[in-house]
Amino acid sequence: MSASQILVPGWMEIVESAVHDEARQHAEEAALAALVDQYASTLYRVAFSVLRNQQDAEDAVQEAFLRVLRHRETLGEIRDHRVWLVRIVWNIVLDRKRRAKTRPETDDIADLARVLPAMGLSAEQRASALQHHARVLGCVEKLPAREREVMLLSAFEELSSVEIAAVLGVTESSVRSRLFRARNLLAELLQHKRSAT
Amino acid sequence: MNPSTEDRFDRNAGALAAEETLRMIATLPARAGLEDRVKAGLRSSARRGMVISWPFASADGWMHSTGMRTAAAAAIVLAVAGGGWGVYSHIRVAPVPSALVEPQLPNGAGRFSAAGAMHVPQTVEGPVVTAPLTEKQKQRASKVPQSPKHAATSGKGHENAPGSEKQRNVIE
Repeated sequence: MSASQILVPGWMEIVESAVHDEARQHAEEAALAALVDQYASTLYRVAFSVLRNQQDAEDAVQEAFLRVLRHRETLGEIRDHRVWLVRIVWNIVLDRKRRAKTRPETDDIADLARVLPAMGLSAEQRASALQHHARVLGCVEKLPAREREVMLLSAFEELSSVEIAAVLGVTESSVRSRLFRARNLLAELLQHKRSAT
Repeated sequence: MNPSTEDRFDRNAGALAAEETLRMIATLPARAGLEDRVKAGLRSSARRGMVISWPFASADGWMHSTGMRTAAAAAIVLAVAGGGWGVYSHIRVAPVPSALVEPQLPNGAGRFSAAGAMHVPQTVEGPVVTAPLTEKQKQRASKVPQSPKHAATSGKGHENAPGSEKQRNVIE
């Protein structure tokens, strides 16, 4: 067998492999782009509900998709992309929130005032609504971490209790009992605050 | 409506209002163009990742071949090993003596030395032993007339002479 006969099949193999890898890469990129189109908005809302800052929420979404890009080989193994992505962004925002704990609460409210829809309210009504939201958010922050997390995630109508359980890594019954406790605690806190003022 | 029912109603209303706030926050839309911004960020980070991982990877893809990767890895290993050997071979290690030479201690190993000091015993003026006088010498000494001057000089001059008063005292 001549040297050229040995080299040519090897070269063909290299070219075929390169073409195959390139096609696979394109497929992965397309899948990732589709995920961004489909879930970026949901992830943003999850991030915003915890961070209450537009820029921070966008950064969290970006970071979540970067993590997906790093582990794009495992995309085929994921059954429910939505829950998987929410879980990723949830961990990111909790981590960021923990690190930025020193941030004053008034920043959150100011950001919220900027993004809340006016809905035909007068300036006075708007100010009153903002005050109410600020009071509610203050009470939510006082809840224990487990109850608060369930409360925040339950506000997303597109997430069922089973999906919330999957995001938090607990059982569904645990989610329900935590939600029950959270509602009671929140009601107590709000009532206490109202009677104090 | 009794007070407890009213209280419960208030509590429930408060909780519902709180949940309404959370629900409203959860439905706030993102700024327009979020998807495009995320995609742009992913593209730029992917490009950066490629540059870091291998500069030729995005050019034609030949580096995806296992054989080529192995060859490149082997070349890198050889370069590193060769460099290491080059450095190692240029280092001159000082010769190590086969046996250790220990300094000889003047008073033997493990003892305190006198640091060259010499022991000199204190000496006292010892007794001077003289030969006893003979009879002849005694007679001659008694015959010699002694003038006061001569006696003085002779006494002075033979102060240590054998048989003198001083010498006798010393002997005793």
